[in-house]
Amino acid sequence: MNRSVRTSGFIWILPALVVSVGLIYYCIGYTGFISTLKWDGVSPNQLSVGFANYVQVFADPVFWQSITHTVAFFLVSFAGQVFLGLLFALLLHSRVRGAAVYKVIVFLPVVLAPATMAPVFRQIYAPDGQFNGVLKGVGLGFLQQPWLGQTSTSLPVIISIAIWGGTGVAFILYFAAMSQIENEILEAARIDGAGNIRTVVSIIWPGLRGTTVAIAILTAISSLKTFDIPWLVSQGGPSYSTEFLGTMIYREGVPLNAVGYAAALSVMLLILAVTIAIVLRLGGRERGAVNV
Amino acid sequence: MFETRRRPARILLQVVITLLVIPFVFPLVAMVQGSLAGTGWNNYFVVLQIAELPLFFRNSAIIAVSVIAIVYLCTMLAAFGFSKLRIRAKEFYFWLLLAALTLPEVVLLAPLFATATTLGIYDTYLSVILPLAALQIPFTILLARNFMDGIPNELIDAARVDGATTWKAFRYIVLPLTSPIAAALVVLTLIGTWNDYLLPLVFLQDPSQQTVTQVPDFFIGAFNNDQTKILAAAVVTAIPEIVAYLLLQRLFERGLSAGALK
Repeated sequence: MNRSVRTSGFIWILPALVVSVGLIYYCIGYTGFISTLKWDGVSPNQLSVGFANYVQVFADPVFWQSITHTVAFFLVSFAGQVFLGLLFALLLHSRVRGAAVYKVIVFLPVVLAPATMAPVFRQIYAPDGQFNGVLKGVGLGFLQQPWLGQTSTSLPVIISIAIWGGTGVAFILYFAAMSQIENEILEAARIDGAGNIRTVVSIIWPGLRGTTVAIAILTAISSLKTFDIPWLVSQGGPSYSTEFLGTMIYREGVPLNAVGYAAALSVMLLILAVTIAIVLRLGGRERGAVNV
Repeated sequence: MFETRRRPARILLQVVITLLVIPFVFPLVAMVQGSLAGTGWNNYFVVLQIAELPLFFRNSAIIAVSVIAIVYLCTMLAAFGFSKLRIRAKEFYFWLLLAALTLPEVVLLAPLFATATTLGIYDTYLSVILPLAALQIPFTILLARNFMDGIPNELIDAARVDGATTWKAFRYIVLPLTSPIAAALVVLTLIGTWNDYLLPLVFLQDPSQQTVTQVPDFFIGAFNNDQTKILAAAVVTAIPEIVAYLLLQRLFERGLSAGALK
């Protein structure tokens, strides 16, 4: 490598830095500035209010609710996707007919746009929708209720939709990871008298640790980003029961025109996202298993 | 992984997995069934006759292709730079990119809106293309750099000894080796862009500029909440994605799971 090559390396990363780092950091700086304003986003009157928006954020019960919803969303959708993804991967690694068809069915929701499927889920969980219809059909008619219309069931419904859409990824990752587990080890365990359950618990599950961590990371990121499903299916409601930071920022910033307040909320979300990124980066380096 | 020696056990597995996938097909069945309720196939005729419908697809295609082109170009050049070239404070720049890895797009709304209006690109493709590319690039660079780190430096050194410039070493030696990661990158970016809802929602107001994810909203307005037509529209917008996935199964599965590539 000669000198000229050494000094010209920067040119190679410049386009990416301009498009990505340039735009993103410019926006972050600008968001920080807007978060100190009382502003509707269009009028030339920008009233500087200092940290008033942040004071309002911390005092806003809806903000704390959406944090709670995000945590619940993460925990439940992570558990659901891991359980179902693992189960599908195990079953499809066993001798099952038509494995290709099952695989397509489980992965297809990953490909479909949440925005496209949202009207379908609104219809399914409507008071006269198919879900109540099925309940009635199997003799559980007494369980029929307006799933999206009441605060007690709306969040679980939103989470169930997320699990529907995310299990495919967990399944594919587990499926691939299981192919790496050596057959000799499984054979040896069986010869020693281990049954199916015992093999899964003591050999397969520990061998998949790296994959499970990766799924946790992916789910954490998507929990913070959640917007499409809660917004399109339940508009964050009823009475904020499915409000997430994404829907809250959108609601405050666009329909309610409280752009300064939305910017302060964005900064809070940003701090959460970067904290998670740093934790993952450090954690990932230590373990060396996952590199996200 | 479950060992089944006897027939009943094998049948049991088959039954279990069939029961388990029912909730996964159910929404798709409900979608098709709902779209055929009321006036039956006529719902589809009505939906397909909407003059704007092809435009939604065209707009999504234009945006997706542009984002993919920008992301591919920036990613490949930068990944090569980060992986194989000497750059002062390289890890600092890399860290700047990685810090944006988990950034939700909603965080950028307010400044993007203000900037797009000032620059006069509000309601143009560009106001969606640029932020989508910007948010995609940190992740694709991470993937591509990890991949290129696996390409031995000796290959490039050998090319240099033979008199090749850095550009030639990149173009004729590294780039042809990167096709697996390039495929993952294209699929990941395609689905991320095609399925994106928030940015088109905020930045594209004119129906002739909107993307396929706006179709349900458009039809809710156009059909006064006629559920059957909305579902017919959902089927019509889902079909290209289903077909693309069925044709390129492996690519989609690898690409969309790339988030956990080691």
